[in-house]
This record gives sequence, C-alpha cells and structure tokens, in this order.
Amino acid sequence: MPGPYKETDLTERVEAFLSDLKRGGTGAGPLRGSAETARETTALLRKITAQARWSSAGDLMEIIRKDGRRMTAAQPSETTVGNMIRRVLKIIREEYARSRGSSEEADQESLHKLLTSGGLSEENFRQPFALLKSNVIEAINELLTELEGTTDNIAMQALEHIHSNEVIMTIGRSRTVEAFLKDAARKRKFHVIVAECAPFCQGHEMATNLSKAGIETTVITDAAIFAVMSRVNKVIIGTQTVLANGGLRAINGTHTLALAAKHHSTPLIVCAPMFKLSPQFPNEEDTFHKFVSPHEVLPFTEGEILSKVNVHCPVFDYVPPELITLFISNIGGHAPSYIYRLMSELYHPEDHEL
Amino acid sequence: MALLPLGNVAMIDYTLEFLTSTGVQETFVFCCWMASKIKAHLQKSKWCRPSSPNTVHIITSDLYRSLGDVLRDVDAKSLVRSDFILVYGDVVSNIDISQALQEHRHRRKMDKNISVMTMIFKESSPGHRSRCEEDDVIVAVDSKSQQILHYQKTQGLKKLQFPMNIFHSGSEEFEIRHDLLDSHISICSPQVAELFTDNFDYQTRDDFVRGLLVNEEILGNQIHVHVTQDGYGVRVSNLLMYDSVSSDLVRRWVYPLTPEANFTDQEGHSCTYSRHNVYRASGVSLGHGSQMEENVLIGCDTSIGANCYISNSVIGDSCIIGDNVVLDHAYIWNHVHIASNVEIIQSVICNKAEVKEGVTLKKQCVLAYDVVIGPNISLPEGTVVSMHHPEEEEEDDDEFLSDDADVGQRSDKTKQKVFNPAEVGAEGKGYIWKASSLDDTEEEELSQCLWGLVLNPDPESDTEDSDTDDPDDPVIPSPEMDDVKVFHMEVLGTLQRGLEENISCDNLVLEINSLKYAYNISLKEVMQILTRVVLEYPFQQQGTHLTPSQYVTLLLPLLKKWAPVFKNYVKRAQDHLDCLSAFEEHFLEQESHWAAMVKVLMNMYELEILEEEMILRWFSQGATSDKSRQLRKNQGLQKFIQWLEEAEESSEDGE
Repeated sequence: MPGPYKETDLTERVEAFLSDLKRGGTGAGPLRGSAETARETTALLRKITAQARWSSAGDLMEIIRKDGRRMTAAQPSETTVGNMIRRVLKIIREEYARSRGSSEEADQESLHKLLTSGGLSEENFRQPFALLKSNVIEAINELLTELEGTTDNIAMQALEHIHSNEVIMTIGRSRTVEAFLKDAARKRKFHVIVAECAPFCQGHEMATNLSKAGIETTVITDAAIFAVMSRVNKVIIGTQTVLANGGLRAINGTHTLALAAKHHSTPLIVCAPMFKLSPQFPNEEDTFHKFVSPHEVLPFTEGEILSKVNVHCPVFDYVPPELITLFISNIGGHAPSYIYRLMSELYHPEDHEL
Repeated sequence: MALLPLGNVAMIDYTLEFLTSTGVQETFVFCCWMASKIKAHLQKSKWCRPSSPNTVHIITSDLYRSLGDVLRDVDAKSLVRSDFILVYGDVVSNIDISQALQEHRHRRKMDKNISVMTMIFKESSPGHRSRCEEDDVIVAVDSKSQQILHYQKTQGLKKLQFPMNIFHSGSEEFEIRHDLLDSHISICSPQVAELFTDNFDYQTRDDFVRGLLVNEEILGNQIHVHVTQDGYGVRVSNLLMYDSVSSDLVRRWVYPLTPEANFTDQEGHSCTYSRHNVYRASGVSLGHGSQMEENVLIGCDTSIGANCYISNSVIGDSCIIGDNVVLDHAYIWNHVHIASNVEIIQSVICNKAEVKEGVTLKKQCVLAYDVVIGPNISLPEGTVVSMHHPEEEEEDDDEFLSDDADVGQRSDKTKQKVFNPAEVGAEGKGYIWKASSLDDTEEEELSQCLWGLVLNPDPESDTEDSDTDDPDDPVIPSPEMDDVKVFHMEVLGTLQRGLEENISCDNLVLEINSLKYAYNISLKEVMQILTRVVLEYPFQQQGTHLTPSQYVTLLLPLLKKWAPVFKNYVKRAQDHLDCLSAFEEHFLEQESHWAAMVKVLMNMYELEILEEEMILRWFSQGATSDKSRQLRKNQGLQKFIQWLEEAEESSEDGE
C-alpha cells in the first residue's frame, strides 16, 4: 500500500530538511546560497503537494501552512523559505480561482475594490477540483524554472549599468553580484574594490573569483570604506533579504557602506532576485538578528578573558530604504519605494502571517 | 548525569544531536543507573521517531561499573564491527569530526591497522575556565604523524617526569603540549573492544591509553590525536564544568546548539533570543522593575516578581520567583518556588525545591530535589542539602539526587529523623551532607566534591574520593637510565671475561641476550651499547691517554675477534644505521681520535659488519649538529667515502 509508506517518506524528507536548516548556517557564510534554499524549499513543497493527502485547496493550504510554520521557526533568519511558501500559497489560490472560473481580476488591494467588493472575500477553498493537483504542480514547476533563471536575468542587465573605466565597490560575497560583474567584464573594462567584510572575510573569495575572470580587483578592510569612497563611482551589493519597506537585511558592514555612499552621493545599487523579497518589516527585534558563535571574533583559546568579557558576533545588518538608489531584480530595475507593489503581486495579503 | 538539564535540555540530547549532525546512523546507549528513566526519556524524544536518521538502541545492565565493562560487553556481543565513536553521555559539542574520521581511516589503511584510536582534543590555553582540573593532561605528540608518545594526567602534580623512550622513539620532531582540552570523544577501531577484553583491569579510557603506550613495543598499537581549533567539545563531569558549560551555551559558543534553536523539537519549548544573550520561552512574566541583565535563559511559564536582578543564570520551567530576588550564576531547574528577598550566587537548585524568604545561598551550594530551606537563613559556601539523610543505609546506592518516588518509600524511616532547624531554617526540610561523611558512591554523578577542584585556593573543595580513576601514578617509571648503565657495565664485564677466558662468540651472544632480558633493554639499545662498549674498550684497558695509532692497534684485533657477535645483532638495515649512529656518538665524544675513525670504519667494513650502502646512507643523512658536520668533513673520512663509492661503482660495473 503505497500510501502510508509515502507519508513516512515525506515526513522523513521534511524532518531532514528541518534539521538541515537548523544546523546549516554556522555563520561562516551561508553553507548553501539562498538560491539553493529556495529551490529546495520549492521542491519539497512540490513533493508535499504530490504526496500528502488532501481533497480540496483549503486542506492543501492548511498542510503547507503548518509545515511552513515549522520551517520558518527552524531558522528564522532564512527568509527565502517563508517567501517560497507564500508564493506557493498564492499559486494555489490562483489555480483555484481559475478552476472555479471566476475572472482573473487582479486581487490587489485598492481602495476602490475595498468599497465595491465588500464581503465577497469569503472564499472557502473547499470545492474539490480534479485537475487542481496537476495544475498546481505545473505552476510550481514554472516557479522552479523561474528560480533557475534569476541570476542570468540579472546579469543580462549589467551592461546598462556599468560603463567603462568605472570604479565599483562591493562588500562580502554575493553570487548575484559576481555574475553581474563578470557579465559586464566581457565587454567593458572597469575596476572593482571589494571590502573584505570581517570576521568571516568572504570578500577574499569574491576578489579571487573576480580576478580569475580578468577584472582588476582591490581588497580593502571595512575600516577603509569611507576613506576610499571618494574615488568610487558606484556601489553594487547583494543582500540576504529585501524587506517590505524597501530596506535590506544584508551582511554586517553593509550599513556602514551605505552611509558612506550616501555621504559621497554615490549611487547604491542592490542586485536581488525576486525570491528574496519578504513581507516582513524590520521592527521584529527578536527574529531580525542572527548571532553565531563568538569564536570568529575572539577565539576560544584566549582563556581567562572570556569569562570577563561579553563577545557577540552578529551576522546581519539593517539598511534603511533611504540609502538605496536602485534595486535590480530579474524582472528589471525598481526604486525602493516601488517594492510594496511588487510584493502585492507576489504574495496574497492573508499569507503575510503564516 | 545524562538526564540532568543543561540549559533546560537533558544532557544526553546534546550528545545525540552532536552524533546525528556528524552523520552517525546507529547509536548504542549503555546505561546502568536510572536506566528506566533514560529509556523513557529517549523514547519520547525525537531520536526514537521513525523518521530519525539515527537509530538509537538502549542497552542496560546493572553490572556496568565503568567504561571498561561497557566495552567488554560490546566485544562480547559483537555489536560493532567497524570504526566507532566513543562518547560519554554528558558531552556537549559541535565539533565537526569528519576530518578526523578521514584521517583515522587513511591511517588505518596506510599502516595496516596499527592505529587503534584517535582522540579528539581541543586547543585551549591552560587555566581556561572550561578545562576540567581533573582531566588536565600533558601529552607528547609526534609532530608529523600525530601519534601519542606520552600521556599523563597532571592534576595535583608539581613536577613532571618524561620517560626517555619518547626521545628515542624514532620520531624526528615531537611536541609536548599542555594546551589541550580533552573532549572525551574518541574514534575507535574494533580492536579497542578486543583489547579491553584482553586486559580486564582496564577500567577507564586513561588505563587503556597508558596500557597501550607501555605495551607499544610488544603489540605495536598506536594512538593518535586530532586537535581542533574551531568547534567546542567539553564533558560535563562535575559541577564546575556544569557552570562553565552552561555559561558557554548561553553565550552561544556551541552554535548551532543554542537554546532558541530548540533542536530537540519539543512542543512549547522554543524561546526567543534578545540582546545580551537573554532567552525567554513562552509564558514568561516579568514583574515591574525587574532586570534580566545578560546571559539569562528562562523556561516557559515562569513568573518573576518585581525588582529582581538576574544575570548569568538558567531558570527552568514553571518556576515562581518572588520580588527583590538577586540571582547570579544560579541554575534553577523546574517547578522551583523562590520567595522574596532571596539571594542566590553560583548554586544549583533542583526540581521542586523551595526557598523561603530572606535566604542567602552563598557560592557553590546545592539544593537537591524537594528540599525546603526555611526563612531568614544563610547557607555557607559549599553546602549541599538533600532530602536523603546522609547516615541512611541505602540498599541500592541511590544517590541523593533521586527524587520523589524513592523518598516516599522511605518516608517511615525519615520521619523518625528530625530536620535540624539550625541547618535548614525553621520551616526547612532536608539534611546537610558534610564532606567527610559520604561513603563512596557510584562512579558517575555528582559526589561529594561536587564542584571539583578550583584553581584559586578554595578552602573546602579538596576532599574527593569520587569517580575519577586512580590519580596519576607516575605513568612510566624511568629508572631506565640506571638499568641502561648497569647493562652497559655488565656487557663490558662480559666482553672482558670473554677476552681473558677466551670464550667463544656464541657464548658471548648468549650472555648478552640473557642480560638484555634481565634488564629489559630493547634490541636496538643492545646493539648501540655493544658498539660503544667495544669502541671504548681500549680506553678501559689502557686509560684514556692513547694516541690514535695506539688506539687503532688495540682496537682492530678486538673487532676481528668479536665480529661474529656484531654480525649477530646487526642484521637489518635499521640496525646498521643504529650502529653507525652509536659509532658517531662515540667519536663525537672523542674528538682527538678522529684520525683513528677512518681506520676503524674501514675495518668494520672489511669485516663485513657494516655494508657500504648503509655507510653511504649514514654519511649523506643530514648531520644534526655542528660537531657531526665537522666529523663528516674530516679528510680521512671523506676519502674513505669516495673510495667506497668508487668501489661500489666498480662492483656494479663488474657485474
């Protein structure tokens, strides 16, 4: 009887994914990039859709929400997991609406709609549709293909933004920015300055990769950012999450970089694919930060001093939206003030709180 | 120890999490004391769910008195047939041992199973808070192969002795390290279990290590170390370690095993993490004006009164704490009531205990289960209070930390004894356990010197007759030097008699062999001493003022006579080299006789005691000191070497 076997298999996969999330992220840079996490989450959600027992869209959404809550609780700083879950929930709603035959009007919140619709939003999602499962799975597959193409889409826009003989600054290591710069380097010649981003020093790896691609690279310490900023034409950075107000949660040191850029009126460009956009706001003190083992800052071998001193090692930084000039994502470039519209296209308001 | 909570999670959970995250797929848990409770706990936990990647088998027996018994049982039941990881149930760690595992496997493949065990140490400076005094160890390690040459516990020792055999063991460079913290994690091969069965007096891992080092020549087994700089691995073996590991846990040194990660997946146990390492679970209520200063972990449904000041503490679930309470380095378990105006410094309070008003607990107090300490009393440092009377005869050796159920059974007995209000306060319940009155208890667990030894002089904490194995007998006694000297004299005597009484070489060999066994000298040393005795013989006979030519005339006939004796000992290539190094040593001491050196060497070559290849190899081997370099530059020697090389070439051409 394949049923129960499939279920235990599914629970095993979910448990394995959860433990991976909890253990992964030792802070020495994410062990897996956000893109892989996003892909794995989506694949897991597809598996749940295929194998779990559900009869109507409402049941499926319940199951996904429940698992989703566990996944986000496992590693709150890994927002791509939550984002993918919300995307899938939106897909389910859309597919359901399409199967029901109701017109595909944009269910974006607008004042007019609030006034005119009034009370119709009591969708039960209880009607079973035979083809719903396959439709949902197809849509998830499309989402997966989209995820795979994001880095290339962003890199294709590089030539519009980078001109010859420019000096570009970046911080830490971002695969998106790396692809972006390498793509531009095929046709243009420019310099890159990389801030090393202590204590994990991922900037070193980024600099090595860029110089292998033939780009002239310089590595500086974080403390030298302000001093060097006067010679920089543009600052291009990656980020871990884009928050709902247009702000960023990026690797620590980014706020310093952003402030220095603002002071010198240097444009700050953020390359972030759409799956990093999260409906969270930055006022949740408890889940915003991630502190890892203080070993990187003051090693354990130091001895007696450790019991007298408090050592912290935060991983992320908040960058307010005023400091950002442009977001480049796989669907084009946007201003930070436009982020809220993009969000409503991607996620349904009821899913903001899992 | 495995079930006691550390940061509100039982310690065995940390160990199992460490093993699972390393990729272990099958775990055997051996318990002897409180076995049923451990079993119940594990079966409720996430390790025994069907989706767990790590299958846990629990094996219990009352006969396990030590690590040795457990391993003998493993061998008897043939439970493991490949390399396994040996860990205590109270190890908290996040070390990634995959590299150590790879090295271990590689070594075993290369050297055909000589390496029996790899111990994992963490680098940490001496005197570090997380180093347990009892476990302090000095290790001599060969730099290239990471093999242990000498291992000695240093607790309480003011002087250390190192046996000479570590210098002679053939390694070019070795380090003596005191900066290693024993994490009590070892990667063992199946031979370990067999070795424990063979030697049934091995009780602990230290016995094993020492025994192996002593018997290294006979059995050829070696132990290696792996030292990590990153990662954290400490065993909680006494209360001081409990304090320090708890602090480290709350300060996130054991990331990702942090309190808010809730890795045990228990419902309702997740907590949130705020600045300054403050963790709060759900349902915590904090009174007006109370401050959680830093490094605090509070369990669920606990309520704390007004104007409290809490720092560096761990508080369990469902506790009720009154107003104006000061807690510093306090470890409070579940369901504890603390009334107002109490001050607790560096103490442990177990489940369901109650502390009434106005009580002050000074450093290093322990209140066991269900104890009540009455109002307005101050307990001096190091007091231990338990519901079990210290004088009671306990049939099954239950320690004072067993809880309710057992106390209930014995209630008739205890009712006859009255609680002493002077000790525990007017409404108090419990008995004070004094350091001297405890008879020996089970090997694990907190026993009387609960807090272990502290580096700063601490008045009461010196008595300890507990679990730790016999302290430091000097590991390998080193009267070897005397033995060697005596042997030297004896060989000299033998050769003299041989000369005078014209004894045949076979008999001489026999005598020397018997001397070797009598004084327990290694074959290599026999050979070297023999060489030196022979080379020094002319000096012995005629005094030290010999010219080189006289020396040579005396020595050559001796060499000829005793050639068979030499040939008996100098067989393998290594022997040739050893003989040559003894030869070198001798001549380094006798600088004036370098002229004679060549003749002697040539003679030995002609008598076929030494082979030309070996001589050439010895010559070209890096000279280790200036003097020996000078030796090699000696004209005569160089000519001889040249002649040898030509001779070798011509002999090769001739063939």
